[in-house]
Amino acid sequence: MLATTSKHKNKLFHKISIDKGLVIGLIIIILFLLIAILFPLIKILGTAISKEAIPYFVHYFKSSVYLGIIWNTIKLGLVVGFFGTALGFLFAYVQVRTNVPCKRFMHLMALMPIISPPFAVATAAIELFGRSGLITYELLGIRYNIYGFTGLTGVLVLSLFTVAYMNFQGMLRALDPSLDEAATNMGATKWDVFRTVTIPMLIPGIASSFLLLFVEAIADLANPLVLGGDFTVLASRVYIAIAGEYDVFAGAVLSLILLIPSLTVFILQKYWVSRKSVVSVTGKPSGRTMIVTNPFVRWGLFILAMFFSCLILLIYGTILVGAFTKLFGINYSFTLEHFKYVIFGLGSQAIMDTSKMSLIATPIAGLLGMLIAWLVVRKHFIGRGILDFISMLGIAVPGTVLGIGYLLAFNNPVIVNSKVILPSLAGGTAIAGGMIALILAYIVRSVPAGVRSGISSLQQIDPSIEEASISLGANNTTTFWKVTLPLIRPAFLTGLVYSFARSMTSLSAVIFLSTPEAKVMTSQILNEVDAGRFGNAFAYCDMLILIVLIVIGILYLVVGKSMVVNQNLGVSS
Amino acid sequence: MSKRYVAVFSLLILVTLLAACSNAAKTEPPVAVTEVPATTETPAMTEAPATAEPTIDTTGMKLTVLCGPQEDWCIAATQAFQEKTGIETNYVRLSSGEAIARLSASKDNPEFDVWWGGPVDGYQQAKDQGLVQAYVSPNAAVIADNLKDPDGYWTGIYVGALGFCSNTSVLNSLSVETPDSWQDLLDPALKGQIAMAHPATSGTAFTAFWTVNTLNNLDEEATFGYFKELHNNILQYTKTGSAPGPMAGRGEIAVAIIFSHDCVMYQKQGMTDLKVSFPSEGTGYEIGGVAIINGARNLDAAKMWVDWSLTAEAQEIAATVGSYQLPTNPDAAVPPEAVKLDTIKLVDYDFVASAAAKKALTERFDADIAPAPKE
Repeated sequence: MLATTSKHKNKLFHKISIDKGLVIGLIIIILFLLIAILFPLIKILGTAISKEAIPYFVHYFKSSVYLGIIWNTIKLGLVVGFFGTALGFLFAYVQVRTNVPCKRFMHLMALMPIISPPFAVATAAIELFGRSGLITYELLGIRYNIYGFTGLTGVLVLSLFTVAYMNFQGMLRALDPSLDEAATNMGATKWDVFRTVTIPMLIPGIASSFLLLFVEAIADLANPLVLGGDFTVLASRVYIAIAGEYDVFAGAVLSLILLIPSLTVFILQKYWVSRKSVVSVTGKPSGRTMIVTNPFVRWGLFILAMFFSCLILLIYGTILVGAFTKLFGINYSFTLEHFKYVIFGLGSQAIMDTSKMSLIATPIAGLLGMLIAWLVVRKHFIGRGILDFISMLGIAVPGTVLGIGYLLAFNNPVIVNSKVILPSLAGGTAIAGGMIALILAYIVRSVPAGVRSGISSLQQIDPSIEEASISLGANNTTTFWKVTLPLIRPAFLTGLVYSFARSMTSLSAVIFLSTPEAKVMTSQILNEVDAGRFGNAFAYCDMLILIVLIVIGILYLVVGKSMVVNQNLGVSS
Repeated sequence: MSKRYVAVFSLLILVTLLAACSNAAKTEPPVAVTEVPATTETPAMTEAPATAEPTIDTTGMKLTVLCGPQEDWCIAATQAFQEKTGIETNYVRLSSGEAIARLSASKDNPEFDVWWGGPVDGYQQAKDQGLVQAYVSPNAAVIADNLKDPDGYWTGIYVGALGFCSNTSVLNSLSVETPDSWQDLLDPALKGQIAMAHPATSGTAFTAFWTVNTLNNLDEEATFGYFKELHNNILQYTKTGSAPGPMAGRGEIAVAIIFSHDCVMYQKQGMTDLKVSFPSEGTGYEIGGVAIINGARNLDAAKMWVDWSLTAEAQEIAATVGSYQLPTNPDAAVPPEAVKLDTIKLVDYDFVASAAAKKALTERFDADIAPAPKE
């Protein structure tokens, strides 16, 4: 009812409110999307559908081996998407809807994977569950073969499920409990409420979690390289084609093949969600969240979530302890050698470079994300849908593909009519030692998370507050800064935290862009893992986690003051 | 409760960081090298040359090294060079195939000045592609002729032999004898128990490939046949040549096909189950090279690096960081751990032919062998 009455008002509000601030904001966003996303993608497409590339297509689609690889890739994405979404939901549901001990512990454990490089888990998993693993072999006496599909799936689910967790946690908290109450009052059982009220409300979350996990899984490069065994996926093929042979055509064609399932899932999700989306129209949730009271369900969920929490603790414990251990698995004596190597060896430059670039990328990505979300949700203009779509490409496009696109687009200056339109941004001789391309890649990869959390946050907030601001004479710029941004502060904070963590931990998009002047920590870690120097890799991971923790702490202090106190969304001003 | 976790966790890391700092403060060599006067220090390494200036002012000079060997050695070598010359020396470690890929990607605008370490198959390939330039160092005179390019495009800095690096306790549990022939590796009992690097990225792995090819009298079909069969026993192809070593050391696999000096290094690092063996049919060897990148931005510094890397002093750094290759400079001390070449059978390794065939072979390997499912 509320929605229908405000509809007419909304139209008016959107029409009269075009001013300079809005236009500048739009131009910045459009330029950014053009240069940082569309141009590299067009370069890849151009290379992949050029004449020279045709034989590659013929070869790949005729070869049963390559068809197998394509199927492997999709299978991995589907399975990781499914289990990752389930695990994320489990953690979020326990967190929001149950009253059990150790919730903060579980929360921390669920967040751990997001602040660590993905192969941290893989490496620790080899030490713990590998053929000579501490648990599998030393404790249980099994020579478990972790290399291959099952090991890869397990590691990816544990490395990636945090996205789903954060997604569901935000949504479950934002769900209006009065709907649950209403259903209960009308005689529905708890299970009915869960099935017919909670789940439908969460469908956008389920779909977007699944999408993110699917794309992340099929795009992941490090884990298949470290423990793929004989399970070959497209991303590692792309890597070998570029890193091993610098065969641009093979890279571009494989990228295109990898791009198709990602984009398909992405577009499917957009249609499906938009049809099924159930958005509550009231602003803030009112009343108390319904808590699960059935002891079997409650403790069952608790035990399950605790099991995974402890598993994660064990893995990160291994990463921490492993960094101080001479040779994990063989010689457990204490050493500081690894840290010395990482901090005073070549690591120092990589640590500094990566932190610096991530710190630059984070605020830009955070603001861009909120701005895009605001434009998409609140403003009605032509091309709004396209804007939303393109900004999400940063996550829908696999990192490896984006990386190759950057390589093709930015390694050489863009020259039109013998005029340099865009100087070379990537590579050791580019301006700022190639850092600009890296920062752009970080931003592109981070923006979608901000946009998503911004959009879902804005959709749960009634626009009347912003309308009031406009009616009182404030322009769009003032309204965005003074009203909208404070209102969606939790989403903004999520965007910032995620941007920084993601930048620090991203590998696939930047592995080809690292230069002697701009060293990337994750690619150094991959080198250490690949070369079997796990101790150094663990020390690197610890340093990376420490840096991310410190920055997140600062972000919470600066941006999120009121958020921790008030768990509800949008009550901060 | 949770806050305490975080506090303890951060405290632990802080304490260790501090400890690491104080520890290192004692052992770390002075980093500031600006006081090296150009007039007194540099002649030591530019004695002979008529071409290079006898005195070069190195202030503000920079050098970017593409480094092929173990990371430890890269660090030690670049630090020693920086201390000696005052040239700010930076490096990136890349395996052989990656190096070629990277060099050809930035051909018009090279990021690197000098390429140092890694089998010379790659250097020869770089020469054929115009990625490196000729430079005959005055210090190359002492290096044996068969360890350097006749045209001066690359010069050998070390020699190493390929071997099998086996984990004896894993072999015992599989009841398999230590392999001492290429045929032994095809034993079905070793299914999923062998690792080698990917020849497209790793020079080590390509050395293995060409060794088998040489043993097959360059019959490529026979060689691919062999690797197709071996593929069933391979757990996975790593990126870096030496990477299978620690996999064997940790007992993840039984046998690693790597350079024997790397195996010795891992043994010394505490992976005591490891054992080196050599194939009786004959094994391949590598000459580790050094070359100047075509179009290097810091040519003078690059030349100084090449000159320096051929000295006994520079080559003796290797053994201090556990790299037990044979130095090419006859005056350099040979580490006792180094392989005794006269005790093993070496194949007649043709570096020119291998370089010429490398690209096609690695591509075929990558297309037909590496991604294929196991039988």
